[in-house]
Amino acid sequence: MRTQIFAVTLSIVICVTAHAELKWEETAVELHPAPSDKEAVGHFKYQNTGSKPVRFKSVHTSCGCTAAQSQKEEVPPGEKGEITATFKIGDRTGTQVKTVTVQTDDPTNVTTVLTLKAVIPQELEINPTFVFWGKGEAPNAKTIVVHAGKDFSVKQLKVASSTPDFQTKVEQTGKDQFKIDVQPRETDRIIAATLTIQPEDSSKTFYATARVTNAPAIQ
Amino acid sequence: MRSSLVRQALILAALALVPGLGQAIYFRDRVSWRSPIPASEMVTVTQARAWGENAIWIDARPDEEFARDHVPGALSLNEDRWNELLPQFLAAWSPEKKVVVYCGSEGCNASREVARRLRKEAQLPNVFVIEGGWEEWLKTRK
Repeated sequence: MRTQIFAVTLSIVICVTAHAELKWEETAVELHPAPSDKEAVGHFKYQNTGSKPVRFKSVHTSCGCTAAQSQKEEVPPGEKGEITATFKIGDRTGTQVKTVTVQTDDPTNVTTVLTLKAVIPQELEINPTFVFWGKGEAPNAKTIVVHAGKDFSVKQLKVASSTPDFQTKVEQTGKDQFKIDVQPRETDRIIAATLTIQPEDSSKTFYATARVTNAPAIQ
Repeated sequence: MRSSLVRQALILAALALVPGLGQAIYFRDRVSWRSPIPASEMVTVTQARAWGENAIWIDARPDEEFARDHVPGALSLNEDRWNELLPQFLAAWSPEKKVVVYCGSEGCNASREVARRLRKEAQLPNVFVIEGGWEEWLKTRK
């Protein structure tokens, strides 16, 4: 019985005393950039609560689209600081989760994984973004369905084809919902067009592609 | 004596479970940073190479890495410039061709994201992700 009590006490003592010296305010950050934002920046704050300096050995990101920077290489006892993670939004959509792996010389907390979650607003959902016909296939219209994303409203939609080889017709099918009928003038030769989709009252332009391929269609 | 040791081991194992359970409960709603992808949609470099001319290789890495070096004949398609690069890729695409996407290494996620968007948004069939990515291709290049 005494041995059991000793084992339990020892485990508790180890758990209590073996604390990380570099204490993070939070290791996960959620960001909600605006539709026009080019990047999203997360700040991961820390404090050295131990009695010895902590040195950063490396800071790696999970994606080339994210850059992370530590303010200092060494954190003296009691000092605060932060690691800044800058996520380049580019043409990404939806929820993006990127990580920053931080390695220090703190023996109790060598590796810390910081998580940056960016919820990128999606103004329009286009389905599909690509329509195609096989060479010689009947040049019937194919439909692209467009609807406003969550928290967005679209009253009117303008669609233009980059070439006269494709005709487009927009029809509103419901609140914030549209269908675009795309039709090639012919399918005897390889043709392609970029369809520009422009919601009214929006500065953002969306794209779809229409093409006649040189192989039989499988759609 | 032996049963006492077993009991102690069990107690220690139970104590070790406490932080694990705490993490599982606290982080249960956190999504993984890796896009889930079925095993059937992953291919090895050797498999993809065997497809020869019937495959289009897509480099999902950032522009600078693509400019430095890439699989011969591969097209660049990354999410930094998706809207600009997608039409260029679609101009080369053909329904009978398989699409194989790679990024930097086993740990990267860009190839999975690009493959997901090609399947979901462009509704392309036969889109695969290369296991191990560019690093694996370099190993087998010799």
